[in-house]
Formats: sequence, structure tokens, C-alpha cells
Amino acid sequence: MELAGLDPESGESGDGEEGGRRRRGQGELATEVLTVLHGAPGPVTASWVQEQLGGELAYTTVMTILSRLLAKQVVSRSRAGRAYVWSAASDAAGLTARRMRRLLDTEPDRDAVLASFVTALTPEDEQLLRSLLNATDPPQDGAGRSGGR
Amino acid sequence: MGFFVFLPLVLPLTSWPIARLAEHHLHPRSAVRLLSWIGVSMAVCSTLALGLLFVVGTAQIPGNPLPDSWSDPEIRTAVPFHEEVGTAAVVGLVTVLTACSRSLRRHLRIRARALRALSAMPLDSDLVVLPDPEPYAYAVPGAPGRVVVSTAMMDSLDVDEQRALLAHERSHLANRHHRFLLAAQLASCVNPFLRPLQKAVGYATERWADEEAAGSVGDRRLTARAVARAALVTRSAGPAPSFAAFAAPGPVPRRVTALLSPALRESWPPPASPAGLAAMVAAAGTAASAVFALNAAVALLLLVKAATPW
Repeated sequence: MELAGLDPESGESGDGEEGGRRRRGQGELATEVLTVLHGAPGPVTASWVQEQLGGELAYTTVMTILSRLLAKQVVSRSRAGRAYVWSAASDAAGLTARRMRRLLDTEPDRDAVLASFVTALTPEDEQLLRSLLNATDPPQDGAGRSGGR
Repeated sequence: MGFFVFLPLVLPLTSWPIARLAEHHLHPRSAVRLLSWIGVSMAVCSTLALGLLFVVGTAQIPGNPLPDSWSDPEIRTAVPFHEEVGTAAVVGLVTVLTACSRSLRRHLRIRARALRALSAMPLDSDLVVLPDPEPYAYAVPGAPGRVVVSTAMMDSLDVDEQRALLAHERSHLANRHHRFLLAAQLASCVNPFLRPLQKAVGYATERWADEEAAGSVGDRRLTARAVARAALVTRSAGPAPSFAAFAAPGPVPRRVTALLSPALRESWPPPASPAGLAAMVAAAGTAASAVFALNAAVALLLLVKAATPW
């Protein structure tokens, strides 16, 4: 029971194993779908994406993933004839940034794990820091300096 | 064993003056190592003492799955205050174990989530710059570890300051600071008296990384400026801290002040100085804690053995 906590994969928010696995799988699939869209010559149909993924996924699964990505504005969709064509709206960095954002927003205790460059300041700290900064500013960077050294 | 069994639970109080003196007088690298070791040793001893009282406590629960000999009157008479203290120890040990496992799980969960979030980024560089209007910079431990910096943070620093920031984060990864932080965190879960130690380890790892960054870019003032600038943009962009302002300056101004002062020497302070004295108090406290915990363990072991027919 204690050992379960040592497995980093099982640490996902404490719900059942099945839930964690399925959710992670979707995360990976979303990344794969995005990679395919990035490699695409242009806007492509969902069945093209399905083919590129090796045909292992059902068409509806691909559609579900694409619709989710659309809701997150990671991909865009336009009508071409009778079908929709899809293209990547943002790059991997954008997707990663959004994921990171979500992590930072939902884990208030992250600073104990991820070493942050700086921590929050109190108003007193801020004032003290500004005076310290004024003292360190190099001469060429003279904005807002009173007396210098 | 008398009162001595309680000492390992209370001796961690010495960590408060130790933490303060270490911060002011030791090189951050030595401080991190010393404080982590003290924290872990005291936590182990404290758990051991709690475990002994726990054994006494469980012995009075009817139908407990432990050997009958544990509830022998001999043992009960040998351990003082077995009634109330034993019960309290049962509660205490369960609380401690729960807190530790929660802490550990959270640590692993956050790390796994961060690494998963970054998995889409190519591994050709340990630096990941993410388009985000909120300034932040994090070191994400892992194999390989990554440094995550938002574009807003990058934009608020000039090129040299960016170098200092990256050197700082890489120092966190290279020196595996997350292990010290986790050890100190678990220790303070075990015994709340060790909390000052956890804070001190957190601060000292930042100072350690600051010092290495300053060494790497070869300019202490530049590093100080990078820290100050980054903190100020973070302050103006993020929400105001919820806690009330303390009289003492917070960690960031102290880091900047330390960087603006000459570097501390790496050698251990002489025994007569306050820092040397603190180190000795720390060593004595830890040693005493360990001795009493071991003493209690041996005493109980002998008792159980004497009370066991086989």
C-alpha cells in the first residue's frame, strides 16, 4: 500500500488506476494527433490523420480527440466541401505551456517540489528589493537611480 | 526507560537556533547538507521513539494482532504512563505515516505531471521556453531534468541576467536539490518541531544555486540583479501573497543582500565562533537524540525478549 505511492505514474490525483491510465493515454494520443497535424502538408481530414496514426484508432476516437483539441483551441477546423479539414493552431510549445499553466494553477504546493527561481514578495520586501536593485544597477542602466555609488 | 524515551520527540526543537545560525554563518552548500542530515537523523529517532510508545499503546488494545507477550504486565510496568501516552502514540504514529505518504505522493505526482507536460518538447536542450504571459522559472527534476522558463520571464531579463537565471536553475538540477528538499519536508512531517529546518533547507538550496550561478557567470552583482528583477516582475504579475507581512525581510531580499556581500568561505567555521558553536549544539542534539532513541529501542527489545517464552 505504501509502495503504491512510490510509483510516479500512480500519483495522478488519487483516483482509480483505470481512470489514471485512460486519461494519460488520451494525453499521449492528443500529442500524437498534434504531431501528425504538424507534419501534414496542409489542412487534412480526420481520416487522413487516422491513416497516419497507423489505423489503430477508430475514426470516432480520432474525431473525439480532434474535437477536444478544438475546444482547447489547439487545432482549428474549416469546411472543405462536405468534410471538415483540420490543422494545428499552435505548436508543441503552446500545448506544453497550457499544460504547465494547468499544473501551476492546480498545485499550490508545487514550490516544495519544483524549485522556483523566486518566490512571492510582501510589499515590504518589494520596497526593500527596489532599493537594493537601485544600488546594483550598472551606471549605463541609470533609470530611476537617485545617488549612485 | 523513563522520560528519556520522550527526548527524541522534543530535541528537534534545537533545530530552530541551528537553522538560524547555519543560514548566517555557513556556506549554503554545507548548510544544506548539514541541515538535511540533522533533519533526517532527528526524524528517524523521533519516529523510533514514537514507535516504542506505539508498541506500548497497542499492547492495551484488546484483540490486537501482536504477540501476547507484548501486553505482559512486565512490559506495562516497565514503561511509564503506558495508558494515555501509549494511546497518544498510536494516534501520533498513524498521523505521521499518513502525512509522510501524502507528502511523498504529492511530490511524485507534481514531478510526474510536470515531466508529462514537458514530454511534447524535444530533448535536444534542457531548456524549455514556453509562451506564457505570466513570468515563471522552474527546475523540473527528472531524467533528464529540465529548466522551464516562460517567455514573460525571459523578456523581463537582459541576456546576461538570463544566463544567471539558467545557471541558477541548472545548479538545482545538477546538485539534485529536490532530494534535500524532499528529505527536509518528510522530516518536518514526522516531527513538526523540524519545520524551521525545512524552511532553512529551502532557503539554503536557493542560496547554493545563487552562489553557483554567480560563479558561473562570474558576477555576483549581475546575479543579484537577475534575482531581484525576476522577483519584482513576478510580484507585479502574480497575486499578492496571502500571509501577513513579517518583520524580517523575506527570502528574496535576503538572497539579494547575500549576493551583494562578499562570498562566504567554504571551510567550516572555527569552533569558538557562533557558527561553530551552532554546529556543535546541532551535533550534540542529534547525537543525544540518537542515543536516547537507541537506548529506548534496546530496552524495549530486551523486555519483549524477556517476556517471550521462546
